[in-house]
Amino acid sequence: MSALVSDVGTRTAVAAEDLVKVYGKGDTAVRALDGVSVTFQAGRFTAIMGPSGSGKSTLMHCLAGLDNVDGGKVHVGGTEITALGDKDLTKLRRDRVGFVFQAFNLLPTLTAEANILLGLELAGRKPDREWFDTIVDVLGLRDRLKHKPSELSGGQQQRVACARALVARPDVVFADEPTGNLDSRSGAEVLDFLRMSVRKLGQTVIMVTHDPVAASYADRVVLLADGRPAGEIDSPTTDSVLSALKHLGA
Amino acid sequence: MLRTIIAGLRARTARLVLSSVAIALGVAFVTGTLVLGDAMNASLRDEFAKGARNVDVSVTVSGDSSDVDGISPETLAAIRQAPGVAGADPRGSQAVPVLTANGKAKPAWAVSLPTNEKLREFDLADGRYPTSADEIAVDKRTAATAKLTIGQPVVLLGKEEKRHTYTLVGTYQQGTNTMSLSGYDHVGLTPEAFQALEPERPPYQVVATAAAGFTQQQVVDNVRKAIDAKAFTVQSGEELTQETLARVESQSGEFTALLLAFALIALVVAAMVIYNTFTILVAQRTRELALMRCVGASRGQVFRGVLAEALVMGLTASVIGLFGGIGVSALLQRVILSFGGAGEGVVYLPVSVTTVLAAFAVGTLVTVLAAVLPARKATRVAPVAALRSQPDSGEEVARTGVVRALTAVLFTVIGVGAVVFGMSMDDEDAAMVVSGAGTMALLAAVLVLGPLLVGPVNRVLGVLPRALFGVPAKLASANAGRNPKRTAATTAALMIGVTIVALVTVVANSAKETANAQIDERMPADYTVTSSVYDRPLPKELATQLAAVPEVAKVAPTTVVYGEREYLTGIPRDAIGDLFRPTVTSGSLADLVDGTVAVNADYVKRRNVSVGSMLTIRPEKGEEQQLKVVAVIEGQRLSDGVMTMETSQRFPQAAEGYDSILVKLKDGVANGRAAVERVTDPSPLALLDSAAETKEQLNQQLNQVLTFIWALIGLAVLIALFGIANTLTLSVLERTRESALLRALGLTRGQLRLMLVIESVLMALMGAAIGLLLGIGFGWVITEALSTDTISVDLIVPFGQIGVMLAGAVVAAVVAAALPARRAARTSVVAGMAEA
Repeated sequence: MSALVSDVGTRTAVAAEDLVKVYGKGDTAVRALDGVSVTFQAGRFTAIMGPSGSGKSTLMHCLAGLDNVDGGKVHVGGTEITALGDKDLTKLRRDRVGFVFQAFNLLPTLTAEANILLGLELAGRKPDREWFDTIVDVLGLRDRLKHKPSELSGGQQQRVACARALVARPDVVFADEPTGNLDSRSGAEVLDFLRMSVRKLGQTVIMVTHDPVAASYADRVVLLADGRPAGEIDSPTTDSVLSALKHLGA
Repeated sequence: MLRTIIAGLRARTARLVLSSVAIALGVAFVTGTLVLGDAMNASLRDEFAKGARNVDVSVTVSGDSSDVDGISPETLAAIRQAPGVAGADPRGSQAVPVLTANGKAKPAWAVSLPTNEKLREFDLADGRYPTSADEIAVDKRTAATAKLTIGQPVVLLGKEEKRHTYTLVGTYQQGTNTMSLSGYDHVGLTPEAFQALEPERPPYQVVATAAAGFTQQQVVDNVRKAIDAKAFTVQSGEELTQETLARVESQSGEFTALLLAFALIALVVAAMVIYNTFTILVAQRTRELALMRCVGASRGQVFRGVLAEALVMGLTASVIGLFGGIGVSALLQRVILSFGGAGEGVVYLPVSVTTVLAAFAVGTLVTVLAAVLPARKATRVAPVAALRSQPDSGEEVARTGVVRALTAVLFTVIGVGAVVFGMSMDDEDAAMVVSGAGTMALLAAVLVLGPLLVGPVNRVLGVLPRALFGVPAKLASANAGRNPKRTAATTAALMIGVTIVALVTVVANSAKETANAQIDERMPADYTVTSSVYDRPLPKELATQLAAVPEVAKVAPTTVVYGEREYLTGIPRDAIGDLFRPTVTSGSLADLVDGTVAVNADYVKRRNVSVGSMLTIRPEKGEEQQLKVVAVIEGQRLSDGVMTMETSQRFPQAAEGYDSILVKLKDGVANGRAAVERVTDPSPLALLDSAAETKEQLNQQLNQVLTFIWALIGLAVLIALFGIANTLTLSVLERTRESALLRALGLTRGQLRLMLVIESVLMALMGAAIGLLLGIGFGWVITEALSTDTISVDLIVPFGQIGVMLAGAVVAAVVAAALPARRAARTSVVAGMAEA
């Protein structure tokens, strides 16, 4: 926890306090999250890592308000989301959170452009054209905007998902194994973009991954094991992440 | 493999229940209509068979003998004494009005009840059969409607308004037959009493039953010997049965054809819904099938697995549907019986081999076909490719085959050709059949083109919801249009149903309006007095009495003359141009004097006559007359032509009395009706009609028919809506991840539900809108085909009823979307995303 103290002074984007999430009941109950407290600073790229079943995806779901918690609190940009009902959570997701999932990120019926603007439209907000153009150009999607997802490659689809996540300038972008379905070149492109969106565009990204190479793109890695925090790595490299994971017994 | 199949069936209970219900409903509709048709036939057969039961010999007056006009008492005695005859009785029926409690005559059939028990056609319900000439029995329904109880007097109105009074001693059951459905009352008398109603007319038929030990043929031969065989036709009971059954066939043929048409519609609609459901179901299982292939199942095993599963489901659902259909038929028969006013008719539920075969063909064959075709497609892809494929990655999207376009063009050409040809035909019945077939070909063309129409229609229909509901509507519209083939197949069933309903409604309403207009023309007078019994003219004094009423301005009696090929109206000279105002197309009504006639335009065409030609009228009674045509008139739908009252008196038929009396009141008279009623009330025959009442009566009848057709087609529409619910549910299952994604991106639960409701409404409206357009268009074609020169059937589009239909479709679509929408909204985002 000492690493958190050194970052005091930067704005906190997302904070979890003593999070508990239990699946099942009685004998078969599994504590997927068992008292997790963690803070994510704004303007940084954080990776959540851990072996299978460590609770990293559950943590992300709870942080993003996609799943309800059995104990503890989550704050997103100063709002305690664990106190919110479904309506307010939905509104929060629209306005203040962006998502990039592993697969199936796009609506097959909409064009790439419509997919990018979907969240804004749901919120009834006008897109910032300049910002939209910036993102589209950075991601190299300009000539793909009128295509349907079925006409895009996996890497292109994932880039469209990134653009959609960022276009509303959310408080935080959650990425759940964003490169899990991609070949290494496309994966690197997507990770490059996520890193650049943090460094150059000032966004906040929290990414769940099991890939040490992907984690090495982040500014900081939060490790999780058996539903509990299991250390952190600042400025991670592939090797430092690998050895940390080995240490966890993954 | 069997274990996998059973496990599969268990695991997908929800989806299987959905498709099973679709199959069962389809089967129920098809069997329901088939059983109903058979039931109608069976009840008719039963009724006619009753007429021939125990009859071994039937003697009727031979058609080519003119000297004998009936069976004399001597002949009857001779038949009775022929060796082997155990009993013989005359048979006959005639229309004899029965007087109701308020003193008004009501049309009724009187029959002669055989004295020999075995020869009786009816089953006794209560009391006993009459044994003396002053006793009477009535059928159960007559007793109920006329509120007659045993022991009460019953009065029949004989010739010259002579009253015959009898005591009611029993009631009998007629069953459901054409006579009982005609709404006529039915009474039975002893042969003596029956003969006394019309003494000068001897019975036309005598039936006899054989004594024990004699064959039918022996008795027939004996009877032939006993009477003048040349003057009479002697038939065996067997022959009589054959003859009557042949008559039944032709009588019930029209109704059976109508029901068969409905059954066909049911078949098509049900097959479409089943096929669509199964196509989606198997398409969704493509990955599962591929997985089985990956773990070592052969293509054949997978294929047989799907086949076996479909077979089990089809068979089970068919059995359920078969019984459901029998229930539907029983229900429909109750409805029909309640129309007839016969509270407790017999409900027949004959289940023929055809019905069972049709049920299983629809339920099992269609299901298996619907499962096998997509399964074949699924197993032909490399297993790994199928595993990787995302559902809905564009592979199902319709590619417009040249075949599709060509088929549509072919149907269109045939359809337009038949419609144009039909409209040009003179015979309106044939024209209707040909044009009707043409419209059905056009419907087929639209069905074939369906997937192509989905895109544009969806875009047009989506405009309003998009403007009203924003993003959810935009997504819904995109979803409705994403798989044109599926959407087309889903909406096609509804489209067919709505097309037929709209067509029938438009034609029925047009016919109703035309008939109403006709009544307006026929009744320029304030009131028309007619006879309550069709072959009993009004007494002439009635006209004089009516003319004497102070409130009455003018009275015009009319007579009717039936010739061989026409019927003409007689009307007083001074009423022409006043109470009778036709449009004259050639000649002049001023020339209509004694010995002349003005004929209708369509009669002119039919008989090829013109102004100046001579018409020869051969009446049933009396001598033939030569009449000169002096004018051709139009818009007079009363009869084929008009002559003066004096001219009509040359015919004995018209001389008997008046067909109707037109009454015009003085201007501003209050209580005119009461004044006229003072004259008509004491007369048992006189019925006072105003145009409004006649219209109401007619409309009531048409509405009954319409209700029946709506009820039948309603079932098809119900199945179609179920198809929409089915498709939507399956689509929701298929799109679980997509829904979760939308929720993650900020779509509220409410918006997600709204999206699915709008999608459902869009699909329903697509079917309903195209169906309505087609139905109204086809309605126009049929009304045009039915129109002749004199009677133009105007196209009346009942916007009210069509509005109700559209609103109904929207409401039903919302209901259809309720369950899938609930399910979709309840799935949590995380669970939804995890779904493969």
